[in-house]
Amino acid sequence: MRAPRGTTGSRLFLIYAVASLVPVLLLGLVLSRGYRQEARDRALVQGRAQASVIEEMAIAPVLGGHVLSESLRGRELGRLLRATELASFSGSVVRLRLRAFTGGIVFSDDASTAGALPATSAAFRTAASGGRDVAIVRDPTGGDSQVIRVLQPIVPNASGQATGVLELYLPYAAIAAKVETQLRHAYIRMAGALAALYLVLAIISWSITRRLRRHAAAREHEALHDPLTGLPNREWFRLRAERTLRSAEAGERGAIVLADLDRFKEVNDSLGHHAGDELLRVVARRLRAAVRTDDSVARLGGDEFGLILPSLSGAPAALELLGRLRGELSEELTLDSVVVGIEASFGVAIYPDHGTTVEALLKRADAAMYEGKRGTAGVVVYSDGVAPAAGTSLLLQGELRHALERDELVLHYQPKIALDTGRPCGMEALLRWQHPERGLLPPGAFLPAVERSALIEPLTAWVLERALAHRDRWLAAGVGWPVSVNVSARNLESPRFAEQVIELLDGSRTSPGELCLEVTETALAADAAGAERALRALSEIGVGVSIDDFGMGYSCLSQLRSVPVAEIKVDRAFVSGLDSRAEDRSIVRSIIELAHGLGCAVTAEGVENAQTAAWLRAASCDAAQGYHYARPAPWPELLDRWALAPEFQATTT
Amino acid sequence: MPRRLRLLAILVAAAPVLLASGCGSDETAAQASGPSTAYDRALHDALPTDVRRSGVLRVATDASYAPASSFAADGRTIVGFEPDLGAALGRVLGIKLRFGQATFSELLSDLVNGRTDVVVSAMTDTLERERKADFVNYFSAGTAILVQRGNPAGVSDLAGLCGQTVAVETGTIQVDLLERSQKHCGDRPIVIKTYDTNADALVQLRMGRAAAVLNDYPPAAHLATDPHTRARFQLASTAQYEPGLYGMAVSKRRPELRDALQTALDQLIRSGEYAEILKRWGVEDGAIKASSVNAGGVATGE
Repeated sequence: MRAPRGTTGSRLFLIYAVASLVPVLLLGLVLSRGYRQEARDRALVQGRAQASVIEEMAIAPVLGGHVLSESLRGRELGRLLRATELASFSGSVVRLRLRAFTGGIVFSDDASTAGALPATSAAFRTAASGGRDVAIVRDPTGGDSQVIRVLQPIVPNASGQATGVLELYLPYAAIAAKVETQLRHAYIRMAGALAALYLVLAIISWSITRRLRRHAAAREHEALHDPLTGLPNREWFRLRAERTLRSAEAGERGAIVLADLDRFKEVNDSLGHHAGDELLRVVARRLRAAVRTDDSVARLGGDEFGLILPSLSGAPAALELLGRLRGELSEELTLDSVVVGIEASFGVAIYPDHGTTVEALLKRADAAMYEGKRGTAGVVVYSDGVAPAAGTSLLLQGELRHALERDELVLHYQPKIALDTGRPCGMEALLRWQHPERGLLPPGAFLPAVERSALIEPLTAWVLERALAHRDRWLAAGVGWPVSVNVSARNLESPRFAEQVIELLDGSRTSPGELCLEVTETALAADAAGAERALRALSEIGVGVSIDDFGMGYSCLSQLRSVPVAEIKVDRAFVSGLDSRAEDRSIVRSIIELAHGLGCAVTAEGVENAQTAAWLRAASCDAAQGYHYARPAPWPELLDRWALAPEFQATTT
Repeated sequence: MPRRLRLLAILVAAAPVLLASGCGSDETAAQASGPSTAYDRALHDALPTDVRRSGVLRVATDASYAPASSFAADGRTIVGFEPDLGAALGRVLGIKLRFGQATFSELLSDLVNGRTDVVVSAMTDTLERERKADFVNYFSAGTAILVQRGNPAGVSDLAGLCGQTVAVETGTIQVDLLERSQKHCGDRPIVIKTYDTNADALVQLRMGRAAAVLNDYPPAAHLATDPHTRARFQLASTAQYEPGLYGMAVSKRRPELRDALQTALDQLIRSGEYAEILKRWGVEDGAIKASSVNAGGVATGE
């Protein structure tokens, strides 16, 4: 990138240099023309002055006051010859003639009349009417040299009367030589001055272009680097990744790695932003120190980092490198006298195996990292088993943010049916995205991308607010179903979450006991302490807590002890196998027993047929949810169907 | 060239022409607005036959006496209130008065010899000159003393000229005036130097070879105020000595020419053109009420 910028700079300098050369040369031309003209004018002035002296001192005293006619009186002629012969002899005067106004030659220093200026010529007429004409002309006596020709009236008296015309030719060669010398000197001085001027201009433009170049480089650095850690930013990372992929030789492998800090939000919330910033700086330093020389590290935003590891032999090499890196990263550090351990999840995509475009690789690295977040392995290399995160998470996040603003999200509801009465005992709010291009999207298409981002907070708040508002509407219609809302791990990490829920409840007609928050086991596992705190606060005021997808995540049963759980929802994976597999039947039976033992209600998810429903009822499961009863739908549809058809149980049994 | 630009170019090119023509018409209007005197056929017929036939009256003048008559910048044209008066007389008489340069001291002999028809050259009408020619009086002026600027010789009146060198033009009444003044100087007589033209006399003053030049008052005042000469000359005092009348000299053998000129001059005086001409040259103080013939000798009592 430096090379093209350099050529741009020098091209700019070249343009400057040429552009300033033009006015300098023009200036030189104008000045030299001015010098030449001035030199000529000086010569003419000199000729004029010389002619005046000759006329007044040599000619006027000799002539009487009478107007010159064709001939001079003998005495005057003699005196005139004496007065002028020495000047003619020595060459001070090339030729001297006295002319009558009619043009007749009254006196000629060489007695000849050849080559006289005609009386009709402009110069002669000027002199005859009192003016003067001075010009530089070819020597009329022959030869190549130039002479100064002066034509002026002869005024031999003080009264100002003109008596004839003086035609005088003065030598110009000496003056011309002097003028040439002066011009040469002037040219040399001028050339020197102009060269100096040009040099100064060139230096100025050089320094300006250099400054511009540096400024541009600084701006580019600014645009491509993160000011907090000094690491390159997302844009730079993308460009560098593209370049790396382009320049990768055939068969050469490398890795695009995404890394995300595990407890960053906790540090930020509990120790303050400056501690968070310091943590990021430390992480940046450690990452940079741990990678190889050719590797690149960038901060992509928040607590997310990106690495480009070119020239790897394959996934094992990447794993080895990242394992070492993770080890160095996890060394404890002290922030504000609190000892903090840094954990990070790494998602790895190997090129060209997992993709040849930056987009594809990032998507897969993201999916791998997400997988790592959910599991226990710190470094996950993408494989086909890893579910791809829907779209590029960041792109989706941006779109989703717009969707929130444009109100493209809608809530559908799926009823939980009480197995003993066959009547709805609750409605689970399910988010749908009315995408302007892709149509109605289920949560699986976009939620995974945002569950770990800050966007989940406003999103959950929106769902809660909207669900409570809807419940107000169906309360008004005379139906009192409780409502359930899904909450993600990140919501529970926020210390303000419980407060927000309470505020929203206060603003609605729903009492806390009629709201249920559904949490996955994994969400509980992620941040046990924070989640516990939030759930405890909420259950204290009566909000129900439900464990969603029970049996599929990484839960530890101890949580059931510490978290006040009101409901356990059995994952559909077990329910769908109830008809055919004895193992599933015993698992579900155990779960029901476990739940009832803890004082929780049990809801089976994914009930798709009557046999399953019958088995569950027999196993004393409390409620069921699934296509057998109802698909998720807008609440007015459910209201029409379930509020007006009370005896569903009768039809199903 | 776009049409609009071309139109602009034409306008720009035409502007000086338009402006110049505007100025020109203003000038002619100004000249025409002055009083003018009609051609008088009877007077024309009263002129001598040869003058009528040639249509030209030769006028001799010594053109070294601005603002009466002097050479213009071209060194050839004679200008002044006398040529202007001559042109006006010519219009009334239906002829041309052609002014030519001559030496002042030779003017009257040229007239007697027939080399010229009239002399108009700021010549004061005196009894002595009336012996050679008839004078049609047209202006009144006295003599003034002109000195170098700063008056280094400290001349303030005629008596102050005793013992000094004074330059004058040959044949002028100032020569007579100086000679008459000698009797007051005792043993410190005025050194009187005479020159062919008044300009030559002024050269002497300018070079410091003379302490003063005696001129008629109008040319002396002109020299002391004209931007080209006032740095060199000043008047010794505002006094005018021996006021006299300028006269156009006409041969005594041609009374009809003399009378025609006098009548024409009277018409100029009556029409106001005469006053206008004098005013143009800044010499209206010397205007006369009516023309006369040979009145100068009577006035000075000589």
